[in-house]
Amino acid sequence: MSVLLIVVYVIFAVAALLTLWRIVVGPSILDRAVASDVLLTELMCVLGAEMAINHHTRTLPVLLMIAAVGVFGSISIARFVARRDTTEQ
Amino acid sequence: MNAVLTSAAVDTTMAPDAWIDLIAIILILGGALLCLTAAIGVLRFRDVATRLHAATKPQVLGLILICLAIAVSLRSWETVAFLVPIVLMQLATAPLSAHMVGRQAYRNGSLDERSLLVDELAESRQTPPAAGG
Repeated sequence: MSVLLIVVYVIFAVAALLTLWRIVVGPSILDRAVASDVLLTELMCVLGAEMAINHHTRTLPVLLMIAAVGVFGSISIARFVARRDTTEQ
Repeated sequence: MNAVLTSAAVDTTMAPDAWIDLIAIILILGGALLCLTAAIGVLRFRDVATRLHAATKPQVLGLILICLAIAVSLRSWETVAFLVPIVLMQLATAPLSAHMVGRQAYRNGSLDERSLLVDELAESRQTPPAAGG
């Protein structure tokens, strides 16, 4: 069963690394916005999984705040990107 | 939890708590796999719209699975009352950010034009406000 826990940890780590790679190389800023959104969601999932595994509720407010505020990041990036800027691709 | 689960793995007469923890772990595994598929999709797909398609899966379903795992693992109504607004907020804001990013990707031409079968907004790109300025 602790094997199952290790599998969960490895899956989260690999997912975060792949997303980080897309943030680093991602050709346009919108790709980076999408990838950082995914990374934020993975952060929420990791915090929640850690709470469920260790049986505590200390990071629930963090989860609530990320769910409430996390959307502003990609919205402001999307508003900031120039409309006809095709040189970024 | 580890001690409970390792002892539970060997004998079949598990305590109910061990079964509930096993269910929680399986739900977490589902959420983690959704995160992994999103990461692979974001890495492998070729433009913003397809990456957005892959990215929105763990934002809703993965988080719901993780929140179910928390609720199953802690088994208190206070926790459930805290988890419901988290899921509702995520359900409300995930399409919002995806819509904004997708709209901007269409407008600045970073979509792969050849992959579009129908482009219903093609005319409106020539006229304001979508034409930009």
